[in-house]
Amino acid sequence: MSTLTKYSAVPYTGPAPTNREPYVPTDAAAIDARGAELAAALSVEQETGQDLPTLLVPRENIVAVLTALKSAGYTMPLDLFAVDYPRREQRFDVVYQLYSLAKNERVRLKVRVGEDEPLPTGTGVFKGLNWYEREIFDMFGIVVDGHPNLRRILCHEAFQGHALRKDYDPAQRWLLTEKDVAKIIPKIDPRFENVDTDFERVTLNLGPSHPATHGTLRIVVTLDGETIIGCDQEIGYLHRCFEKSCETHTYQQAIPFTDRLNYCSAFINNVGYCMAVEKLLGIEVPKRAQHIRLILSEFMRIADHLVCIGTNLVDMGALTNFWYLFQPREEIYGLIEACCGARLLPSYCRIGGLAVDAPPDFLEKSQRLVDWLPKFINDVEKLVDKNQIFLDRVVGIAPITPELAIEYGFTGPCLRACGVPYDVRKASPYLGYETYDFDVPIADGGDTFARYLVRMEEMRQSLKILQQAIDRGMPEGAVIVDNPYVALPPKSKVYNEMESLIYHFKLIMHGIQPPVGEAYFQVEGGNGELGFYVVSDGTKNPYRVRCRPPCFQIYSAFPDMIIGQTIPDAIAALGSLNIIAGELDH
Amino acid sequence: MDVTRVSPGVVKVTGARMSVLDRLIIPQVVAGMLVTIRHLVKNLFNLEKLPTISYPEVKRVYSERFRGRHILTAREDGTTRCVACYMCSTACPAECITIEAGEDERTREKFPVRYDIDLLRCVFCGYCVDACPEDAIYMTRDYEMAIDTRARSVVGLRDLVVPPNFPVAPMGWRPYYGAMEKKGTAGGTGLGQPLRSAPFEDDAPPNPDLFRGNE
Amino acid sequence: MPTDIENPSNSIVARKPGTVPGEGPEKGLITLPGESDREIEDLAGATYLTTKVDTMVNWARGNSLWPLPFGTACCAIEFMSLVSSHYDLARIGAEVVRFSPRQADLMIVAGTIVDKMAPVLKKIYDQMPEPKYVVAMGACATSGGFYRMYHVVQGIDEIIPVDIWVPGCPPTPEGLMYGILKLKEKIERGELKRGV
Repeated sequence: MSTLTKYSAVPYTGPAPTNREPYVPTDAAAIDARGAELAAALSVEQETGQDLPTLLVPRENIVAVLTALKSAGYTMPLDLFAVDYPRREQRFDVVYQLYSLAKNERVRLKVRVGEDEPLPTGTGVFKGLNWYEREIFDMFGIVVDGHPNLRRILCHEAFQGHALRKDYDPAQRWLLTEKDVAKIIPKIDPRFENVDTDFERVTLNLGPSHPATHGTLRIVVTLDGETIIGCDQEIGYLHRCFEKSCETHTYQQAIPFTDRLNYCSAFINNVGYCMAVEKLLGIEVPKRAQHIRLILSEFMRIADHLVCIGTNLVDMGALTNFWYLFQPREEIYGLIEACCGARLLPSYCRIGGLAVDAPPDFLEKSQRLVDWLPKFINDVEKLVDKNQIFLDRVVGIAPITPELAIEYGFTGPCLRACGVPYDVRKASPYLGYETYDFDVPIADGGDTFARYLVRMEEMRQSLKILQQAIDRGMPEGAVIVDNPYVALPPKSKVYNEMESLIYHFKLIMHGIQPPVGEAYFQVEGGNGELGFYVVSDGTKNPYRVRCRPPCFQIYSAFPDMIIGQTIPDAIAALGSLNIIAGELDH
Repeated sequence: MDVTRVSPGVVKVTGARMSVLDRLIIPQVVAGMLVTIRHLVKNLFNLEKLPTISYPEVKRVYSERFRGRHILTAREDGTTRCVACYMCSTACPAECITIEAGEDERTREKFPVRYDIDLLRCVFCGYCVDACPEDAIYMTRDYEMAIDTRARSVVGLRDLVVPPNFPVAPMGWRPYYGAMEKKGTAGGTGLGQPLRSAPFEDDAPPNPDLFRGNE
Repeated sequence: MPTDIENPSNSIVARKPGTVPGEGPEKGLITLPGESDREIEDLAGATYLTTKVDTMVNWARGNSLWPLPFGTACCAIEFMSLVSSHYDLARIGAEVVRFSPRQADLMIVAGTIVDKMAPVLKKIYDQMPEPKYVVAMGACATSGGFYRMYHVVQGIDEIIPVDIWVPGCPPTPEGLMYGILKLKEKIERGELKRGV
């Protein structure tokens, strides 16, 4: 819609509609240079104009390129997904993202795959790509050659078709009955295969309706006496089609869907998604909104860790800590509810800022909470920290080495518990984290106890950040950007000015229309690096939204962590990983 | 637990050192019980300060931004502010609002003949309140919506519209906070369009030959 | 740090303290035609003794609900808040939260049920002994919520009979408690006689 007509008395001088030009990242030149270097070293082509160095790799060479990059230092497989361009000859774009911890650099690989062309597996190079390849098989129908266990991971066994293809009707459901459910028999781990015992081997099913599996996780274990010698998992019991929902809704309407991903720290998901779209739009959020986003993100991180530790201890029988840890969670809910009206799933962020300004007593309430929270954390510490019963149950349980953790693509507290100090807030700061003085806690051993320690200390570090944020005071100004193509105008203008009413109608009916392009943005969620990859085709609905769930790869390493231990150990370990099914199954 | 600095920005956390007495389990169990008994005694002698809210006898007051059940406001002359513009049903991510528009014969204004919200689909995100340009829909602080028959799950005009001059202060999520001056008929001022004596009596329908917009 | 509480609250409809939910002034707000006064159902042919026994049994059943929280998603976290110290479901007798269906009588389905989970839900429901009650909590369990998608069950009453639907996303713990109190009231009035 052109806002300048030949009858306008006053020429329009405001911002231009957002989808007139394609998306160009701010530091495009540096990224293209780096991409050219890598492309020359690996003798592949480069795709320019992206927000990360992107290499176009032919299908046959992908394993060689992955191996070369791994030996060049890109040891962590962060993500693997596909995008469907049905009108192209080779319709699928399989996208890998690798990260180098030493150099703090990411690289993106794109492989074009046609409908019937198989993709060679990357599991020989990175173990963490295992479940991702099952996911692209499930969602897109891309057959992966050489995969050890290629079956559907998120959708159920009787599902027909491939859900994220553009020609799949979003509402087409399939019925799963009892007899369609596949019988899972876990493969026995090679270390235990030839152990000769008198005990019969028993297959035991844990979940999905089980108090300790936190809702919807299913584990099938093969037991030799009491020792677990084989383990297989089934996920997808909460697959709520987040990515397809984003394709059928507008950018703004996708925000409540992002809430429900990691529902224990829902605000952080909001921030991640909104910042990915804001990166695509190239807009800078006002300082006041950034400050509030930071404060609420840290409160939500504390809330997430409170749930994790509380439920982990409940699974081990220590119920008191659950009560003690849920009470501060209620007060954090009170703070969020005073800001935006909902306790658990705020939907408070909007693209360009926040929905509404924080209440006037926001900082006082936050200060009271920050003064009052350490009491509960200290109480739990007194109950549990030196308790030999607790220590016997968690020390040395479900350990993982740092090398294996990095190969699986662990991030967040589970990786920091192995001794690797990777935190997105330090590595690629956002919202002003680089100006705050806080530490990243690490621990040794990668076992359940280490994860508990890291989470407790992280809560204290979050309180430190919060205290600094409150001391700085709130910057003045608006909480949402002043661009009428992105943010709804304030009601005082909508009710009184014709232009604002028209912008309001246009935004609701036609939505935000970002530039054509793709952007990836990562935030530090409660569980690790939460990344959102948004592909825009210039219309009001996103073309593809990909959420990189931090607990997906953590959970895929679970069998490696518990083989050789007993069932109670597995339960204690499962609680410490903080698997949130909303995020796991997106 | 013990926290030591390893490098700038990184601290290492290790478990607390256990003395011989700690390894005997009982002393630590007693120490833990002292913590719980302290809580018990403190609560026993401070019953008013217990965090438990004895619902339903005592109800918690939520903030003025709480997203509860919706209502539709009315102008001073009794007509609904809603002009069936379909902003709210377009903005709703759950597609739970169904509107049928009709024309009011006396004022030639649009109004909703049918306005249904499926409370079971609604995710209480507040987008409908944000999207309304007529100050028509608000959310209240009412959260007691449990029903025992499906027939009551869809609330219509009869349940949503509140009388004119309904007090705004006890409501929840609203289009604006504080006072606001509204000019014209947009944004729900007290008056609707003026009543006409009879429809179409003194004005003719527009003549398309007179339109010069495309020159 | 206590939250702000006031008695009575400033909710949209004034409520007399101590009134049972469903009987207060909001009864007229959403009423079906022909439903002005409710009466205890007449147990035709029953004697004085059996009606009194029935009343006592129903009272006992209503006050000792043993919930089975079939929690899958975000509503499960609000259910956890309900059993925590701020709201405390144990006050109305539902202290014993049992995860085994053989030991529970109230199944609270808290969270989205997807097509993959549907056979599991049906199996768990079938394993519960009579009399059993089902509360569907939240938008997803009652109607599929805003997930009109290829993998989500559009309301658990596609699979199992539901007694109380609690809207909200997630419902506040008080909202859920209101629903459970409504169920309790229905049980005590004898409206939910199952089997016996």
